[in-house]
Amino acid sequence: MKISVSATVNGTRQTFEVEPRTSLADVLREELRLTATHLGCEHGVCGACTVLIDGEPARSCIALAASIDGASVTTLEGLADDPTMATIKASFHDQHGLQCGFCTPGMLISSWDLLKRKPGIEGRDIRVAMSGNLCRCTGYQGIVRSIEHAAHALQAQSEPAGANPTASKQPHKEEAGS
Amino acid sequence: MNQSFVSPREVGREQGIGASVKRNEDRRFLDGQGEYLGDLRVPGMAEVAFLRSPLAHARIRSIDVPEAYRGSVFFAKDIAFAKPIVAASTAKGFNASDYPALVSDKVRFVGDLIGICIAPTRAEAEDIAQACVIDFEELPAVWDIDVALDADAPRVHDHWPNNVYFDSKIENGDLDAVRAKAAVTVRKSLRMGRHVGVSMEGRGVLAHYNRRLDELTVYSSTQFPHVIRTIMAQCLGVSEAKLRVIAPDVGGGFGPKNNFHPEELAIAALSMKLNRPLRWIEDRREHLIASPHAREHRYDLTAYADARGKLLGLEARVVVDAGAYSVWPWTAAMEAGMSSGIMTGPYDIPVYHARALTLATNKSPLGPYRGVGRTGACFAIETLVDAVAHAVGREPADVRIENMVPISAMPYRSVTHKLYDSGDYPACARQAIEAIGLADIRARQRKPLPDGRLIGFGMASYTEQSAHGTAEWVARGLPVVFGFEPALARFTPDGKLILFVGIQNHGQGLETTLAQVAHQELGIPVEDVIVRHGDSSVSPYGMGTFASRSMTMAGGAVSVACTQLAEKVTRIGAHLLQAPKDAVTLAGGKAFFGQQSVSFAQIAEAAFLHPERMPEGEDPALEVSAVYQPGRSTGAFSYATHACSLAVDPGTGHVEILDYVVCHDCGTMVNPMIVEAQVVGGVAQGLGTALYEEMPYDDNGQPLASTFLDYMIPGATEVPDVRVLHMETPSPHTRFGIKGMGEGGAIAPPAAIINAINDALRPLGAEVTQTPATPERVLDAILAAAEARA
Amino acid sequence: MKPAAFTYHRAATVDEAVAMLADMSVMSRPLAGGQSLVPMLNLRLAPVDRLIDLSRIAALKEIGEEKDRIRYGALTTHAAFEDRRVPDASNGLMPYVGAQIAYRAVRTRGTIGGALALADPAADWLTTVIALEADILIAGPAGRRTVAAADFAVGPYMTALQDGEIVEAVAVPRRSASERWGHEKAARKTGEYAESMAIALIDAARATARLVLGAADGAPIVLARTAAEVAAGRTDDSLSPVIDAELAACGRDFSPAKRRMHATVVLRAVRKAVLASGQRA
Repeated sequence: MKISVSATVNGTRQTFEVEPRTSLADVLREELRLTATHLGCEHGVCGACTVLIDGEPARSCIALAASIDGASVTTLEGLADDPTMATIKASFHDQHGLQCGFCTPGMLISSWDLLKRKPGIEGRDIRVAMSGNLCRCTGYQGIVRSIEHAAHALQAQSEPAGANPTASKQPHKEEAGS
Repeated sequence: MNQSFVSPREVGREQGIGASVKRNEDRRFLDGQGEYLGDLRVPGMAEVAFLRSPLAHARIRSIDVPEAYRGSVFFAKDIAFAKPIVAASTAKGFNASDYPALVSDKVRFVGDLIGICIAPTRAEAEDIAQACVIDFEELPAVWDIDVALDADAPRVHDHWPNNVYFDSKIENGDLDAVRAKAAVTVRKSLRMGRHVGVSMEGRGVLAHYNRRLDELTVYSSTQFPHVIRTIMAQCLGVSEAKLRVIAPDVGGGFGPKNNFHPEELAIAALSMKLNRPLRWIEDRREHLIASPHAREHRYDLTAYADARGKLLGLEARVVVDAGAYSVWPWTAAMEAGMSSGIMTGPYDIPVYHARALTLATNKSPLGPYRGVGRTGACFAIETLVDAVAHAVGREPADVRIENMVPISAMPYRSVTHKLYDSGDYPACARQAIEAIGLADIRARQRKPLPDGRLIGFGMASYTEQSAHGTAEWVARGLPVVFGFEPALARFTPDGKLILFVGIQNHGQGLETTLAQVAHQELGIPVEDVIVRHGDSSVSPYGMGTFASRSMTMAGGAVSVACTQLAEKVTRIGAHLLQAPKDAVTLAGGKAFFGQQSVSFAQIAEAAFLHPERMPEGEDPALEVSAVYQPGRSTGAFSYATHACSLAVDPGTGHVEILDYVVCHDCGTMVNPMIVEAQVVGGVAQGLGTALYEEMPYDDNGQPLASTFLDYMIPGATEVPDVRVLHMETPSPHTRFGIKGMGEGGAIAPPAAIINAINDALRPLGAEVTQTPATPERVLDAILAAAEARA
Repeated sequence: MKPAAFTYHRAATVDEAVAMLADMSVMSRPLAGGQSLVPMLNLRLAPVDRLIDLSRIAALKEIGEEKDRIRYGALTTHAAFEDRRVPDASNGLMPYVGAQIAYRAVRTRGTIGGALALADPAADWLTTVIALEADILIAGPAGRRTVAAADFAVGPYMTALQDGEIVEAVAVPRRSASERWGHEKAARKTGEYAESMAIALIDAARATARLVLGAADGAPIVLARTAAEVAAGRTDDSLSPVIDAELAACGRDFSPAKRRMHATVVLRAVRKAVLASGQRA
């Protein structure tokens, strides 16, 4: 049995015929060759497969392709020209927010959504909000720092010119006190 | 509190040794344009699902493949030409066994490979695997160390007299004399739970035949492609000249990707046989159940000390549950050997007797994982030192430091003949203690917390052999010896530099740090340096990335090659500038004579395309090949002290890390930003060992944690902010004094955290002696202590 | 980890879904948000021949505001509660619970109906709706019926749903303005399933209390005796023996460690409700 699915993927209307059991992740990766979205667990825990469905973050490994008929899907590739994502990527680069890169697309998508909903977020709240994206390389410190850095940069961008300059954080600054 | 760096930096070397340069490799990963194994495809490719054993120990009587699927399922007989993997130690008494690509006689662990199912999609291949019916004669499972040791135990390997891979002893010094004069004798029994490596990307293999080059190309998510080529060629019966192994982008390695796996052999062999591209992507359940496991150790320890806590002697018994097969090339015995070999840690302990016993069980084979045997050894000695301190009624931090090898004793030969090259262990420990505020913590502990939680302080120190070369690997008895690293530094005619290296970067930032070494020698901007690695046809033969060796070894080779290249660039530049050679300097991608300069592009153009512009007698082209071995191959010893404060909730058993400090010394740091991140990443994994990660098996040998719901790795809220302090005591034996440091972060946390938990629980008389210290185990310890008091 | 094959149908109405599910000749399962079901399909742990996608059924997304209660359609997502995009009958408890289920990417698709129908003992909504004395509105081949939440959960992964029935809505009574709640959860990792959770509702003005323990290896437990003591004003450590006694008598075989954990969590939930009561709105 094949299901006909019509969805907007990264701004382009796509139609594909899929078996009901095919995941959105596999359609993106194998049919559309959008391989930024990675598979780390295929049971919805690690977050490496995070994409946006109708603008909201979702786990593509447990979204059946058949169930997203009529929806709009955005992957990391689809945000290549997005200015907010560009700022976030620049922060991850500046603050060493990635090592092997496998969890990174999921981290970026989740960060993008987080900073949209909670622009002033910092510290432990970032950790709580990002707890659904697992990383095995960084120990999360560089990722949290990158998101904080991006939050400041985005806030500075949205303020009128001449308003409070953002303090940029040093990559390996030692925290004072316990 | 970052100390100023030791290595001198010249003008024009702002991106060189010691600079926190941002990474060259970030671009493709941030754009999601990396290419991992699962992103690769070849026309005509079939997907593979393995038919794996559902039982821990059984003979295979028969296998029924449904009619429709015959022709899609392959067994050992179909790739009979593939020789089994044999990882035998050269040490006498090691029990060898075959690890075939596919088993045919009996299965020895849940997940053992029986057959290969191929189909156009992975889903269909899994359907085929599910449809096959295997008739097993089930055998009792050797599911535990105690079962394996039992004289009547079933044999994992039928031709062995027992279930012992290897049993070795260390007997250095007169233990009887020590026993007689010790004022204090302290015993401890400890267990470390079985681990899975859990890189975010699992393993994977894609094999296909390249008809133009008449070679088999095998992509594998591996940490050492050249070495895989060597052993794979042997097992396939082909020449290495007809085999290409490529590690694409690799999503984390940590050790489980640092073995020759039967999956690699099976896929390569079948692809050859069928002349068909085949791809296998390890899924998470396979990774948890059947990738090489790690860390399952048991310790029985005795420390003998004087009345001040000075250690006079140490007795240790290490038992490792090494699973069903010996992993190649390390052999099953390496883990216990490493642990017993480094047990004395940073301490000056003159007498040491140890027994290292490695057992076979019906579990996934045990292999190296970040820190390898050192993590268990650190757990053992560091909990023991705390116990000794309490036995003599003194602060453990003080007793620990007093036992350390002082800087005046460096270089120090340990009782296990390891040569500690340089370092100030006591200073490092003192910095960690001061940074975490031990005095304040002790003061806080005297009053109960309003929410009822108990504060604990723990610390752990270690010294880590890194970048060891020939002498050490020979001593370990491996079938291959990792003695050197190569580098080919090659200019392009347009003035860019390509470094072809034999290590395999998978997150460590080597595409940047090796470029920094090139910058240090040549003054070429880091952005103009490309590092090529991971492809056995592209790079000179190298050993890969593991054992905290890459920066030291490959960095050394790049330095040697680029130093020579710099001389040639200077000669050509001087000639083009009509300047005396000694007055020419290299910086910013140019050769300077005063204000005049020529670019590397001009120099390279001359070397390749206009030899008429070259100096008399100078050969054309612009590349240098070099190899590097450290001055001593016995290793450069990095070391650290981890200190942690935490709160234990006696009502729920939950542990919250309040503060975590690492003071470490890896000699000269090439890129402090990258070094710090490696430490933090390692600490996160160590924290997983201490509190979360365990692969339990039931008494049928069934693994019980087959998803991330059961096998928990730390997430962003489980890892605290880690404060990292750097010391730099260069190694006398390596280029720039670099020491390896990739694993260190994962060595000390279990010891530091368990020590802290036990410090918190001491008023209750409770103690945890096992990792992970789950809430239930903490509560059980508290309840047991309460009952004992009653 | 790819699922075994199944067929797939999008149901347009509740009646259509019920009719398909009631057809016993085919093993059918309803698909809501998929956040629990699809992982099981990927692991091949939940055999199914036909998946019936409920997500297009508008009626299951409706919110009904009534005088004494609010009816939440079964497909209301956890994120909808978190973001307060739906009205709240619970003095903030449901938005709070919704916000800490799993992770954001799961909350955008996971639904309250799906969570209740699965009845994982550690599921947040199950304990919550029992605490709130909600009703589960069920549609099936025999028509519609209502089951009190406490009767809906029968055991681990076992509910009162019969063949062919689906959860249509959850009706939560509007809690009194003077009632305060306390929620305590012990989980090893943020967002993972709880090892223990408890919800306490205390209305000092009316001298009422309700106390539920979840993640207790079966259906959540209503701790009526302890609640009575709380209602009578006992909310300090002297409540502990009462809790211990009720846990010991509840018929579950808790290990000593688990019993201690549950007792701790229950008392803390009570203390939190008391603390909330002490704060004037």
